[in-house]
Amino acid sequence: MTVRSMGLALGWLLLSSPVWAGDSDPLQSPMWGFHQTRFLGTAPYEFDERVVLTAPPFAEDSRQVPISIDASALGQEVVRIVAWAELNPIAHIFSFFPEGPVAPRIALNIRVEQATPLRAAVLTRDGVWHVGSTRVDAAGGGCTAPSAVRAEAGWEEHLGEIFGARFPAGEGSRLRLRVSHPMDNGLSGGIPEFFIERAELRGAAGQRLASLELHPSVSENPTLTLQLGEADAGQRLWLRDNNGNEFEAAF
Amino acid sequence: MRLLSLLVAIFLSLPLAAAELAYDLQPRQIAADTWLLEGSTENFAASNGGNIVNVAFIVTEAGVVLIDTGISKRYGEALRAAIGRVTERPIVLVINTHHHPDHVFGNQAFSDVPIASLARTRELLAEQGGAFADNMYRLLGDWMRGTEVLLPGETLEPGVREIGGHRLQLLAFSGHTGADLAIFDQTTGVLFAADLVFYQRALTTPQTPGLDVWLSDLEALEKLPYTLLVPGHGPVATGREPFAQMRDYLGWLDGLLRAAVAEGQDMNEAMRAPIPERFAAISLTRFELIRTVSHLYPKYEAQVFQRVDAGE
Repeated sequence: MTVRSMGLALGWLLLSSPVWAGDSDPLQSPMWGFHQTRFLGTAPYEFDERVVLTAPPFAEDSRQVPISIDASALGQEVVRIVAWAELNPIAHIFSFFPEGPVAPRIALNIRVEQATPLRAAVLTRDGVWHVGSTRVDAAGGGCTAPSAVRAEAGWEEHLGEIFGARFPAGEGSRLRLRVSHPMDNGLSGGIPEFFIERAELRGAAGQRLASLELHPSVSENPTLTLQLGEADAGQRLWLRDNNGNEFEAAF
Repeated sequence: MRLLSLLVAIFLSLPLAAAELAYDLQPRQIAADTWLLEGSTENFAASNGGNIVNVAFIVTEAGVVLIDTGISKRYGEALRAAIGRVTERPIVLVINTHHHPDHVFGNQAFSDVPIASLARTRELLAEQGGAFADNMYRLLGDWMRGTEVLLPGETLEPGVREIGGHRLQLLAFSGHTGADLAIFDQTTGVLFAADLVFYQRALTTPQTPGLDVWLSDLEALEKLPYTLLVPGHGPVATGREPFAQMRDYLGWLDGLLRAAVAEGQDMNEAMRAPIPERFAAISLTRFELIRTVSHLYPKYEAQVFQRVDAGE
């Protein structure tokens, strides 16, 4: 056995050893440690295939990159989902707090400034973070591109308009919607931050079923897909932007 | 010492590697007076230099009519040299069928010749050419060196134009990019469909006004009494197979997108939809499906979404 092949064998042993499982970043991202400290602090975590983070392999439009996260394999134990784009100038995408009938699943579109690793960290009741990862290639520039919304005359008239529908999904249902909003992130042409920062899905009586904290890595005219275990739960969606505008939709 | 010789070898290979960036363009005669430079059905890649497009020229008695100029200044120069090996006649007209980079970025090599397109094609190229160039430099690197957008200086109107004994019927459509020119040479029976027809290569949708528009363009185009069809990408054909494939494929895409939004699928789910076995011979179907969902999904969603906010 040569020195080289011994080294390979040793490396294989280390990689396949359970001691290392969930510890070593599968994407080998230079920013993993920074964001892990920032978002997860000192809490225990593991890279977990039960957190399915899906994105296309490349961004056809760096201003609108669809990502979807499905942590339903972790069941009712999920208390929070935090997503970020590791190499974005504004890395944080959202923090999502599903409750009751709201499944730990979410899909929306994001901006990417360059090819980047993406993460979805899912906190379960036992205090452990479960991290799903993927990578998206991109020409980039999505965070600093001029707003397409603002290029349209009279866009203010349509601010906060919400288009969407409820769809049957197995035993439950799925809500899909798009909100007219520029989601300005403060990174282009003297336009300050102006974005929807908070959303709540509520029941018919106004009780909160899930809340969502959004950051302006979310694309303009944001899309949102939420999944519910009940056919008609989540009748109302409430949104608020950082200028205090409130918007509400009924499903 | 081994390190030194390695460094020397690397150094010596550098100019060789640079010299390898050459397009091997061999015009092939496909009809009387008519020559084709057939590109691969791959995507843009440093390995192919972006030579993924079909470029054709007609050697008329009055001179050469060139249909599209390829992906780069370097391609355009190689193209001009290749034409020069076929005929000594001058190039009298260069046509840009539409504004996509693989069809117009060789224009610089023909700056002394009239370059013509539909009026809308020139507008679209002026709007989007810079962004196309950025992306092509990213994908192709040094193949693109020196390439800049050169807008066509002349405007083509639909109708029949006779050049050096060839009656060229110019047809204006919009299904692929919003301004798409097809050219039917009534003299030879060759139809240059440009990117209104992709054959054995998945069609691309970044600027399409709608798959329905494209389908109706194809209906009109297919009625022409051609004997040879030159698609924008893929092999030439004497029969109607490319039209059958285009209709089948566009119909499948349209149906897929309609069904996906009706079921409430998110974009990633639609991007991962199964691709029918009958399209197995078509290159880049998954890649282009991902792109098409990016381009068109919001338009299809708008057909099933209702206004759900309280409004005023």
